[in-house]
Amino acid sequence: MVDEIEPKPPIFAKWRNWYWFVMLVLAAQILVYLFITNLFQ
Amino acid sequence: MNSIDWIILFTTLALIVAYGTWKSRGSKDIDGYLLGNKSLPWWNVCLSIMATQASAITFLSTPGQAYEDGMRFLQFYFGLPLAMVILSITAVPLYHKLKVYTAYEYLETRFDLKTRSLAAFFFLMLRGLSVGITIYAPSLILSTILDWNINLTTIFIGSLVMIYTVSGGTKAVSMTQKYQLTIIMAGMIIAGLTAFKKLPNDITFTEAFQLAGEMGKMNLINLSFDLSDRYNIWSGLIGGLFLFLSYFGADQSQVGRYLGGKSVTESRLGLLFNGLLKVPMQFVILYIGILVFVFYQFNQAPVFHNQSLKDKAMQTEYAGAITKLESEYNKVFIDKKLEAENLIGAIRQDNPALIEQSRQSIERIQQSEKVIRSQVKEQIATAIPGANTLDKDYVFITFVMTYLPHGLIGLLLAVVFSAAMSSTASELNALASTTTVDIYKRSINPKAEDYHYVTASKWFTAGWAVFGMLFASIANQAENLIQFVNIVGSIFYGTILGIFLSAFYLKYIKSNAIFFAAIIAEGVIVYCYFFTKIAFLLYNIIGCLIVVVLGFIFQYFENQKIKKASQ
Repeated sequence: MVDEIEPKPPIFAKWRNWYWFVMLVLAAQILVYLFITNLFQ
Repeated sequence: MNSIDWIILFTTLALIVAYGTWKSRGSKDIDGYLLGNKSLPWWNVCLSIMATQASAITFLSTPGQAYEDGMRFLQFYFGLPLAMVILSITAVPLYHKLKVYTAYEYLETRFDLKTRSLAAFFFLMLRGLSVGITIYAPSLILSTILDWNINLTTIFIGSLVMIYTVSGGTKAVSMTQKYQLTIIMAGMIIAGLTAFKKLPNDITFTEAFQLAGEMGKMNLINLSFDLSDRYNIWSGLIGGLFLFLSYFGADQSQVGRYLGGKSVTESRLGLLFNGLLKVPMQFVILYIGILVFVFYQFNQAPVFHNQSLKDKAMQTEYAGAITKLESEYNKVFIDKKLEAENLIGAIRQDNPALIEQSRQSIERIQQSEKVIRSQVKEQIATAIPGANTLDKDYVFITFVMTYLPHGLIGLLLAVVFSAAMSSTASELNALASTTTVDIYKRSINPKAEDYHYVTASKWFTAGWAVFGMLFASIANQAENLIQFVNIVGSIFYGTILGIFLSAFYLKYIKSNAIFFAAIIAEGVIVYCYFFTKIAFLLYNIIGCLIVVVLGFIFQYFENQKIKKASQ
């Protein structure tokens, strides 16, 4: 259930892109942490 | 502590209180007092959300957690960004569209008054009790460190928060939180850098990583699926997602923060940026704990980090035994330091055989250290019956008090006080909003003037603050109350989450079905608490599942009944 008039997000064209961006940043962080774990552990 | 520290500490706290009170003066209507006139930009919403979640215990405990157990605690937060995305899609536009003051108000639109009142009542029960602990837990540690009376420390923190939350409401909470979080992050980073600068032999940042890694502390990710393991990537992603969905979607102390956003866009961005920043922020705090750990490989660590409790034990007949153990511990340290230096040398030479040899030696030494420390704890527990010998929460603050230069000690104490104040302020504000809007205005006195509700909210804020302080004083006398409060939280959280999940995503379930499902779920959870041995953290999932499943079943039968009646 979303507002009838969806407000336009800044930077990206759609809110969906923001959601993907947040999830991609999380995925990238997990990969970096996995790399650190394997490198130093 | 010297006069510079005291000046920095008290000036920081006084400025925060004065700023919050001054900036939010003149909130005369309920919109202004409970929603801050919906005037916050996204970055302030984000800082406010982060400051609410980060309590004083976060900053005292998290570095200690990394010191003892490594960095694997980070995985606990992996579900948070996902929860932020889901709530940005669903809860934020819905709450804004319905122009609600509290999350529970929405439940009346979706279900009915009785479900709204029930959820509000559950929230008041769980948050009302926990506000006492939010004040008590840091008070206990600060009173020990500063040698203050615990009740006075509690009253000090509670009263400071009360001044600006009562006078300025939501706006004061959010306005002060942006500065509190800035002080907190600046203080923590300075503490981390100081710990790093104090490392010997020109150890680089990477070498500190390597040293900690060789000692098993860089256990950031655990991919194995093990239900008995509290911290692995799966429990973080799945368990964390559920936990953060309920915390940010159904707990007014967080919902109140993003309801203050100027628009759907500002609230959404606030939540999404919290999703982007939270995990790195926890990484930084945990890494500070790792730096303290590396620091103590080259500097003598205290055998027991709660110095005040140890001093008390030293006044008993067990003093001799403790001193003997301490001198053994100090001897072991000399060997450890030597091996740590060898390990750094081996890392620099990139010699795997030498690295392995030093690592094994250090592991053996750490084992003996562990044994001595647990013997010291046993002695202290026998010397002072009933004393809490868990000293993890004291690791970081003892390091700060012992090794940081004057001025920074004052700043770091201001960090802990600020964190205690910011999370308490949000809780008091949420309790007052829920009591006023969902109980008082809706069911007791619905036709009063706007100004009357502002005054009532102020009284409720003050009332909850006094209740919190009183509860904190009782907690001081009954240590197991903290455990009790955690259990109370789990008893109600699952049911509240079940109600909200049904409200957002399960259109099939209607008001009567959800209400009775929630009451039965709560009954089952209370039964589980008294008559089973189920771990109380599981109550969240059990309560939520019962609400949803029973909601479906009850609705099915109700639909059948309606069908029959209409035929």
